[in-house]
Amino acid sequence: MTSSGLSSHQHKINMWLQLLINGICLGAVYALIAVGFAIVFSVLKFSNFAHGGMISACAFMGYFFQARFKTAPPIWVTIIVTALCGVVFALFLDMIAYKSIRKHKSPNIYYFLASLTISIIITSILNVFFSKNPLAFPMIFKTTTFSVGSLKVSKMDTMILVISVVILVALMFLINKTKIGLAMRAVAINPDTSKLMGINSSLILVMIFSIAGSLAGVSGVLLGCKYGVYPDLGQTMMVKGFIASVIGGLGSLGGAIAAAFLLGIIEMFWTFLFGSLSTPVMTFVVMLLFLFVRPQGISGKFAKEKV
Amino acid sequence: MNNYQLGLIMNSCISVIGVTGVFIITSLAGMFSLGQAAYMAISAYITFVVAKMFGIPLILTAILGLAVSGLCAYIIAVPTLKLRKDYFALITMGFGEMMASIIVMLDKYTNGSIGFSRIPKVKNVFWIVVGLTVFVLFFAWALKRSRFGRMCIALKTDETAAKSFGVDTYRMKITVYVIGSVICGLAGILYGLKNRVITPDGFSWNLSAEMQIFLFFGGTNSLTGSALSAFFLKLIPETLRTVRIFGISLQEFRTVSYGLMILLVINFRPNGILGTKEFTWKGLVAFFRRLFAKKEAKK
Repeated sequence: MTSSGLSSHQHKINMWLQLLINGICLGAVYALIAVGFAIVFSVLKFSNFAHGGMISACAFMGYFFQARFKTAPPIWVTIIVTALCGVVFALFLDMIAYKSIRKHKSPNIYYFLASLTISIIITSILNVFFSKNPLAFPMIFKTTTFSVGSLKVSKMDTMILVISVVILVALMFLINKTKIGLAMRAVAINPDTSKLMGINSSLILVMIFSIAGSLAGVSGVLLGCKYGVYPDLGQTMMVKGFIASVIGGLGSLGGAIAAAFLLGIIEMFWTFLFGSLSTPVMTFVVMLLFLFVRPQGISGKFAKEKV
Repeated sequence: MNNYQLGLIMNSCISVIGVTGVFIITSLAGMFSLGQAAYMAISAYITFVVAKMFGIPLILTAILGLAVSGLCAYIIAVPTLKLRKDYFALITMGFGEMMASIIVMLDKYTNGSIGFSRIPKVKNVFWIVVGLTVFVLFFAWALKRSRFGRMCIALKTDETAAKSFGVDTYRMKITVYVIGSVICGLAGILYGLKNRVITPDGFSWNLSAEMQIFLFFGGTNSLTGSALSAFFLKLIPETLRTVRIFGISLQEFRTVSYGLMILLVINFRPNGILGTKEFTWKGLVAFFRRLFAKKEAKK
């Protein structure tokens, strides 16, 4: 606790600052999830419910990779390996579920159904085999916190924040500054016209799925480190990612990131003031209010349905 | 039949009612709702908790429960249906999550995650369940064939075209959603009557997803198809519970096998088993006639 020399006023400020920091760290995790979800939405225009299942599956992959070695490999090796697994996994899912929908040109509702089904299959397979005992990643740091001034910051949270921010910045760079990103944005606006402009649409789709898969891998490992590995991990976290991307404006990456940080901070303060039981209610009400007031989301780009 | 078998049939009938509610929302109006289990929970909890607290007969509280789930559906639908369809699935899903946590929060009344078990025993539950199933199916069938139902299908096929023909799509979607949610609420009440215990876990996201899966497996546009698939997909895993693979009961693989079936359907028969066809006596008779006619032609 803070030393007795501090006045109660200062003590209070410290506490708010502490909550703010924790909220930002939480928001970083939400941002990773929300972006993985939004990037698929922006191009394929469907809500990828499978993302939650993929996060769970990747968390387990990361755990078992780590558990294979006697001395645990450094965390970044696990993250990279899991991200690659996530890519392979995402491509496999694309092959068994989404490819035929694209081929048949079935209505959008089938994408919903397929992604939902995949999420359920993954979660229930994991539940059959691993529901008994939740697993935990080995400790990465000897001491869990370090202090900045009179604030205590969790090392784990800092690591998660740094990794998330690095990945988000790299992703934004890829999408906004490179030629591949330009192609992605073009396909997002109109796949048929971009095909006419010489863009390989199907390759871009594959890339989008790989990016989403690798994001699921990274967030799976990070969430596993923070909360432990259990089958419903992705499912529970995914709802937060969805809500963030709805608040941010569906399909907009920048909006989703901003909303995720906002949501993390609000949730941290709410949990502190009113307890964690009512947080799902709060997040839902925030989302509903946001839709009332600003249905186009933070980003302001309104994704209209085309005729 | 013994009590166990009657129980299995009742479970299947309840699943049929739930899927009919989803059918009205998804197949008639083309909205993909992932929170229907929440309405089951609302109705069931209000019915039994209020009845216990104030000693009111169940039939009155059941009406109250249905009314409240209709009201909740209305509140959710008004802001959401103005937006594009994708928001709808996400928001209904969030609503389901919220409902589960509200039930746990109000543990003073609902007994939290342990479950509420002070449900009075009602005579002739079996006949109530079967009777209501028949009624709900008849209602949905009549709705599909009515002017309203045809307008709904027009709206589903092409919303802009329906709008240009003067169909008030926004209000119709709200109405459809409320009707479907009330029917799901009915399924929730019957679930409580049959099992005599209701838990928040029993009405989780998985149940909502399961109902969608039943619907799509039977055929998105076929009421009889989805009702039959809801009945049998619920029934078959229960009868196979003693069969074991790798030392794990098949019962545990139930959800996995539902999922695999859906993947097969998506890949090879995108409109579901029955597609848009309805299963009728007339159709059955015609089918057998054709079958026999072919055989005779071969001879």
